[in-house]
Amino acid sequence: MSEEKNIRVLLVDDEPAIRRALKTPLQELGFQAVEASRGEEALHLVRTDSFDVVLLDINMPGIGGMQTLVRLRALAPRLPILMLTVRDEEHDKVEALEKGADDYITKPFSIRECIARIRAAVRRSKTPERSEDAPIAVGDIEILPARRIVKKAGEAVRLTPKEYEILLYLMRNAGRAVTYGKLLTSVWGVEYRQEVDYLRTFVRQLRKKIEKDPSHPRYLLTDPCVGYRFAEEVAFARGTNGAAAGDAWLPT
Amino acid sequence: MNSERYIVPAGNGRESYLSDRSGAEKVRELVEHAAELDLHQKPGPALASLIQSIFGFEAVAILDADVNEVYQLGEWFPGVEETVRNVFVFETVRDDPETGLIRRVLRVRNLPIGALLLRGEAEEAISSQIAALIAISFDRYHAFANEMRMESAKRAEQLRSTVLDSLAHAYKTPLTAIQAAASGLKEMGNLSAAQGTMVSLIAEQAAQLNLLTTRLLRTARLEAHSLHAELVAIAPLIEDVIAATREQLANMSIKVDLARDDLSLMGDRSLLEAMLTHFVENAGKYADVGTTVTIGAAERPGCIVLSVHNRGPVIPAAEHERIFDRYFRSQTAEHLAPGTGIGLSVAKQAALAHGGQVWVTSSEHEGTTFFAALPVESQGAAI
Repeated sequence: MSEEKNIRVLLVDDEPAIRRALKTPLQELGFQAVEASRGEEALHLVRTDSFDVVLLDINMPGIGGMQTLVRLRALAPRLPILMLTVRDEEHDKVEALEKGADDYITKPFSIRECIARIRAAVRRSKTPERSEDAPIAVGDIEILPARRIVKKAGEAVRLTPKEYEILLYLMRNAGRAVTYGKLLTSVWGVEYRQEVDYLRTFVRQLRKKIEKDPSHPRYLLTDPCVGYRFAEEVAFARGTNGAAAGDAWLPT
Repeated sequence: MNSERYIVPAGNGRESYLSDRSGAEKVRELVEHAAELDLHQKPGPALASLIQSIFGFEAVAILDADVNEVYQLGEWFPGVEETVRNVFVFETVRDDPETGLIRRVLRVRNLPIGALLLRGEAEEAISSQIAALIAISFDRYHAFANEMRMESAKRAEQLRSTVLDSLAHAYKTPLTAIQAAASGLKEMGNLSAAQGTMVSLIAEQAAQLNLLTTRLLRTARLEAHSLHAELVAIAPLIEDVIAATREQLANMSIKVDLARDDLSLMGDRSLLEAMLTHFVENAGKYADVGTTVTIGAAERPGCIVLSVHNRGPVIPAAEHERIFDRYFRSQTAEHLAPGTGIGLSVAKQAALAHGGQVWVTSSEHEGTTFFAALPVESQGAAI
């Protein structure tokens, strides 16, 4: 658990029961957790103290989670912020992601899931920005931007230019939820940001090319009503087609 | 036909000094007054009064066919309501010098919306202009009233969804604390086997309570929500439903069987999503572990048939209809699975709202399949 020793978590939720239920196990498991019950308090703490990650409730009195997010982003552009949301509030999730949140966790959640998200967000924030041309690999999918090549288990996959751009954008943001709007804007341009069905068609084609079972995607995942998320790592639970290239990426 | 009858108080004394002006001037005055009418009230009575006082008719009767009301003023013979209604029904436009009756049909964009009956003298063209003006005023009033109704329906919908949001928040908070505390205890370790079992039970049941809450709120939200028809592509719809029910289908494999990749229909996406989600959740609940749940979409003339098939206990034929009733839960022992008995009734309501229908087939040999047939061009009255 030594890696958690230095992770400082700022826990922002107006509900004392939730803060208590999170803080105790987090501390017990080696994280340092500081509480705030309002956005205003969180902003003050971020100005005066340093944190590795913020868990921020969306629904709070006072300036509320969304406004806190915007101001925190302005204060600390690289600080990972994970929003605590409730299911059925997809538009809030989308808005938070587009305003700079790193990810969201849907209440109720288990401590295990929460810790996994915290670790992933902190790890991403500590990873130095890679160069535009750096290859990216997840599981047995590899993208080589310098040569515009995509490989699956070592074999080149033929993609249309748009499919390639979608994949590149998602893989550059692997592990993060990318909203439909962001993806459409970056691949087609801002005038297409509403054309979700258009995007879905392309994603379906893309899945047929990179997924083993397109209706059970393991790489290109759907966040219902929010967008897509490229897996950060892929577990090879069942026998894959024996791809040696894939084995190198087995998660620990 | 029952209609309300309005007796409007007689003129307000304008007739004396207006009588020598030209017809065109009088029409202009009527236009000015008509433009100032308060649209919160039905304009019929005020118009009848204005027309009588400005033009000096002996009597005025106006039918607003949209609300089926006759506004009359002055001395009329018995049965005048019937007469003015007949003007509307038979679309009679006639000036009758012998009786002094002038008949006009009120039209908006060429459609009859009412009738005007005058007794007195006026040029033909002037009477027609009066009729046109009344028609425009009625149209403005109905458009305004419609807008107000929509505005108030929208506010009611907003209110309901605010209430539901705060309910969601109120339920999810304790559930989140319970879930986090129970899973936290487990993560921290050092529990005896018995303690571990109890903690798991707390976590599982909290998760179950959460699922039920989510379903109940989803149902309530759908009831509060007015339908928005849009072009819905079926393949991505299925994809979203699969992604949202991943946990409930963890022990089965899923197959998607599409007639064509680009199937689509006009409908309300969130409603269709809820419908299919309930079918899939239901299949997840009853399917034998390790079997395949197949979600299909087939084309039939004028409609698309969505289906969810699973292998599992057979639903007795006697229950095929009732299974879609609210709160109905099969009494068959094999069918005792957690649930609220609401899901399938929601699915049925969703299909009906689209002018479609649902049904189920179930046999040992073929397995169980839930179907929803939905018109491609929605004919749902509500949409």
